Amino acid sequence: MVESLFEFLFKYRPLIFEQGELAFRASWVGFLALGAAAGAGYLTLRTYLAVRGNSQPLDRAVLTAIRIAALAVLAFCLLRPVLVLSSVVPQENFLGVLVDDSRSMQIADRDETPRYEFVRRELGAPDSELRAALADRFALRFFRFAGETDRMTALDELTFRGTRTHLGRALERAHDELSGVPLSGLVVVSDGADNLEGGLGETLLPLQAAGVPVFTVGLGREEFERDIQLSRVATPRRVLRGAALAVELVVTHRGYRGETVAVQIEDEGRIVATEDVELPADGEPRTVRMRFTAAEAGPRLFSFRVAPQPGEMVTQNNLRQALIVVEDRSKRILYFEGEPRWEVKFLLRGVADDENLHVTLLQRTAENKFFRLGVEGPDELPGGFPTTRADLFKYSGLILGSIEANYFTPDQLRMIADFVNRRGGGLLMLGSHRSFSQGGYAGTPVADVLPVVLEPLAADAEESFFSEVRVATTRAGASHAATQIAETEEASVERWDTLPPVTVVNPITEPKPGATVLLTAQPDDLVVLAFQRYGAGKSLALPIQDSWMWQMHADIPVEDMTHETFWRRLLRWVVDGVPDQVVARVPQDRVEPDETVTVLADVVDPGFEELNNSTVLAIVTDPAGNITERRMEWTAEQDGEYRMTFAAPDEGFYEVRVEASTDGELLGEDAAYVQVAPSDSEFYDSTMRAPLLQRVAEETGGRFYTADTAAALADDIQYAGSGVTVVEERDLWDMPALLLLLVTLVLGEWGYRRFRGLA
Amino acid sequence: MLADSPSETPGGARLSSAPASVYPGQHVRPSGIGLIALLVASLAGGAYAALRAAPQEPESDFRRLLERQRPALKHPGGPREFYFTRGAYSSGWRWSSWATDYPKADRQFMLAVNSFIDINAAEHENVVRLNDPEIRRYPFLYALEVGSMALTASEVKGLRDYLLAGGFLVIDDFWGSWEWANFEREIRRVLPEFPIQEMPLDHPIFNAVYRIDEILQVPAIGNHWYGRTWEQDGYTAHARGIFDHDGRLMVIINWNTDLGDAWEWFERPEYPLNYSSFAVRMGINFIVYAMSH
Repeated sequence: MVESLFEFLFKYRPLIFEQGELAFRASWVGFLALGAAAGAGYLTLRTYLAVRGNSQPLDRAVLTAIRIAALAVLAFCLLRPVLVLSSVVPQENFLGVLVDDSRSMQIADRDETPRYEFVRRELGAPDSELRAALADRFALRFFRFAGETDRMTALDELTFRGTRTHLGRALERAHDELSGVPLSGLVVVSDGADNLEGGLGETLLPLQAAGVPVFTVGLGREEFERDIQLSRVATPRRVLRGAALAVELVVTHRGYRGETVAVQIEDEGRIVATEDVELPADGEPRTVRMRFTAAEAGPRLFSFRVAPQPGEMVTQNNLRQALIVVEDRSKRILYFEGEPRWEVKFLLRGVADDENLHVTLLQRTAENKFFRLGVEGPDELPGGFPTTRADLFKYSGLILGSIEANYFTPDQLRMIADFVNRRGGGLLMLGSHRSFSQGGYAGTPVADVLPVVLEPLAADAEESFFSEVRVATTRAGASHAATQIAETEEASVERWDTLPPVTVVNPITEPKPGATVLLTAQPDDLVVLAFQRYGAGKSLALPIQDSWMWQMHADIPVEDMTHETFWRRLLRWVVDGVPDQVVARVPQDRVEPDETVTVLADVVDPGFEELNNSTVLAIVTDPAGNITERRMEWTAEQDGEYRMTFAAPDEGFYEVRVEASTDGELLGEDAAYVQVAPSDSEFYDSTMRAPLLQRVAEETGGRFYTADTAAALADDIQYAGSGVTVVEERDLWDMPALLLLLVTLVLGEWGYRRFRGLA
Repeated sequence: MLADSPSETPGGARLSSAPASVYPGQHVRPSGIGLIALLVASLAGGAYAALRAAPQEPESDFRRLLERQRPALKHPGGPREFYFTRGAYSSGWRWSSWATDYPKADRQFMLAVNSFIDINAAEHENVVRLNDPEIRRYPFLYALEVGSMALTASEVKGLRDYLLAGGFLVIDDFWGSWEWANFEREIRRVLPEFPIQEMPLDHPIFNAVYRIDEILQVPAIGNHWYGRTWEQDGYTAHARGIFDHDGRLMVIINWNTDLGDAWEWFERPEYPLNYSSFAVRMGINFIVYAMSH
């Protein structure tokens, strides 16, 4: 509207003025007329100064100014102003037209017609209005782009089924292909839903350097009236079977404020969790915490879904999927206890039914006498606590009970620290009169690893600490996976508040700066459960000595499973993510058909030193069950890291089993999975992204259009484009705005005189 | 005093002064019965002197017994980890049969326990009624002379909940088919769904600390004086057990044997050391097994 008014008044559209330079082309007749006008102006001034009449000085000044302004407009016209433009030579230049061929173009968000309708209407046939206008001036070259970019000879090659949009790559490809010809510019017809990781990056620089403007035509609406989107779901890549997962889902919406929608989690079609969520104000994200159990082993495709609502613009963005590898294997934990304690019995009892946790007990019954439980053979732990890294590092978790620091040699204490720092294991220290400061750990390497500050005990300390406390969750502990002891978060917090008291003999109040406190006890503000990441692993402190009271207290019903749940979830979290000697991984767990899959493997020896000379095989099983075997090569970029790639043409799950060996001895094996399927990312954040398209246009010297303004595209490119051009002058003296101004000034003088009674 | 012999840290930690002995592997083998006998004998004299000096509580006054034991539960570092706890139950024809050998047997046994293994255990006796809610604070329970046991309904419920929650019960010192029948009837009221099974000698409880190769019939001291090991028609000692649905041992039943008397009288020269040694080894195995399984 504004632009049309501008064009009516000033004869040309703003772009013409932006591109052109002002010049004057007055002839001798013009200069003669200009001299006459100047003389007339002088006489006017003299006349107004001389004539008094009944006029006031103000009246004379106003009338003089109006008259001179009118003469100035006249003089401007007599000078014959022109716009000097650089105009492309018709049919001497090429124009690249890039059309978005992705699925988001199917979205019918304007007058219930799909976005691609504009392409068919305006560009589809040779006599289409826009295409004809462009073809009159340029030699057109069409490209279609989605995940890949291809030349088109006819626009009926468009399918609008591309599962990704890589705008930057499309611009690179078109520019490269047209780099040898005079190029006036590139036209991008798209909704701007670029979903390449990393965005446009540096792709605009070559276009800027070559002076190739990009004209962007944005299709679709910048804002949906009614839509719900599951914007984000964060899940782990691997979990143990039976793991209780706590995930955060972010729901955004427009047009459903105050309404309640159902959010579901499905494990391969089986609903495993449901929650009703009330939606907040438009555009405000709502974070939903949901929990479910990974009950079935193998690569599992979990679906997170918001039930579609009436009137939704796009329903495909209500669903997100995540591939979670549910491992059905037993993680080994060494529990070293310095004396018979009830904590041992009830801890073991708590996790006895968990097939994915294998706790090996090493219990000292007297000096240098040990009782072993859960060992795999007579050769395991024959002489007490491991004395080599290889023997200790075969466990994923380590629990230190009531065992004093003096029991260990300095090297064993360093080994425990390395167990966390280097091996990536999980360390848990329990409260007792022989642990933490009371056990003499202050100042040892183990104290460095622990998430709490240990103060050395005073040599003359006589009073021992003892306190009976009730435990409560912190804000972090309320939602943390390790402290979930009931079905819902609220129920879990409430259950913690009602558990019977336990006792503490280790007064720990200060967590380390990087630690997270999950459980506390009042009134002494004692730390009851804290953890921190340390090096490759994590450490936990649980300075209570009788969690078994949560099983045996008179207030706890016999059938209550709180104690068991607590220990299972805690120990599962202790060993969660702890690597083995061989770890297989795929950076992308979902790729498009025919996309290349990269597989990486990390290989270490039993002491967790990286190995660069191992024989590493990748056995790939495709969805049809065909097996191929490839050798992986050391990347030379990182110690112990091996890589291979393969093409994945078929939709479905590919299993990559990695086996590593050294000198013929198997070090270990691991499996990773990748899902090959068309991406649905096109339907997320699928409103037209005008800012991105505007940025592309502005940074390259082009212009941004919508479907409503695209009619001017051909004219604009003619003057804003590069390539073979000629200089063209456009007269400005006959702009309606000048005539209007002149008439206004003359009428203004007449009106002023009438108003002041001077006529 | 013998009770003062273990050194204690300010936090209550007991650092055993027991001589070192290496037990390689899970299948720990004792260095021989001679070692146990020697240690028992060395403790016997002192224990005898100590107990002679200690006042004997009248068995009939349960309340006074409990009052007396309360101070023993207090400890500078909080409660002890282990209490040798007697289950006090209602009995029929024999009044206060639960208190047989009490408290001398308990104290002498704990003397041995604290000497032979590194455990933060109370030196004194501890008694709790089966229907006392506090019973679950003591996951190890010892009950004897159950041939006269006649449980009340609340005791049945208390003991059942205790065992199902994770408590461990050692039954001792009852003899012959008549007393067995009484005990079996009572325990059926507590755990009707779980059968009583003969314990094989390869069960881990007979190998927890000491290897037990044979279930000895341990006689009461009075019978020993008469030159026999049995009472009534209980000529053969048995170790039987009751397991829960997950195969965990809840109750071990020592029938036709009297471990308690062997603990009580191990300081007496006329009582054979091999019985006392066997009883102590069995008892320690029971404790360590109960605290780890």
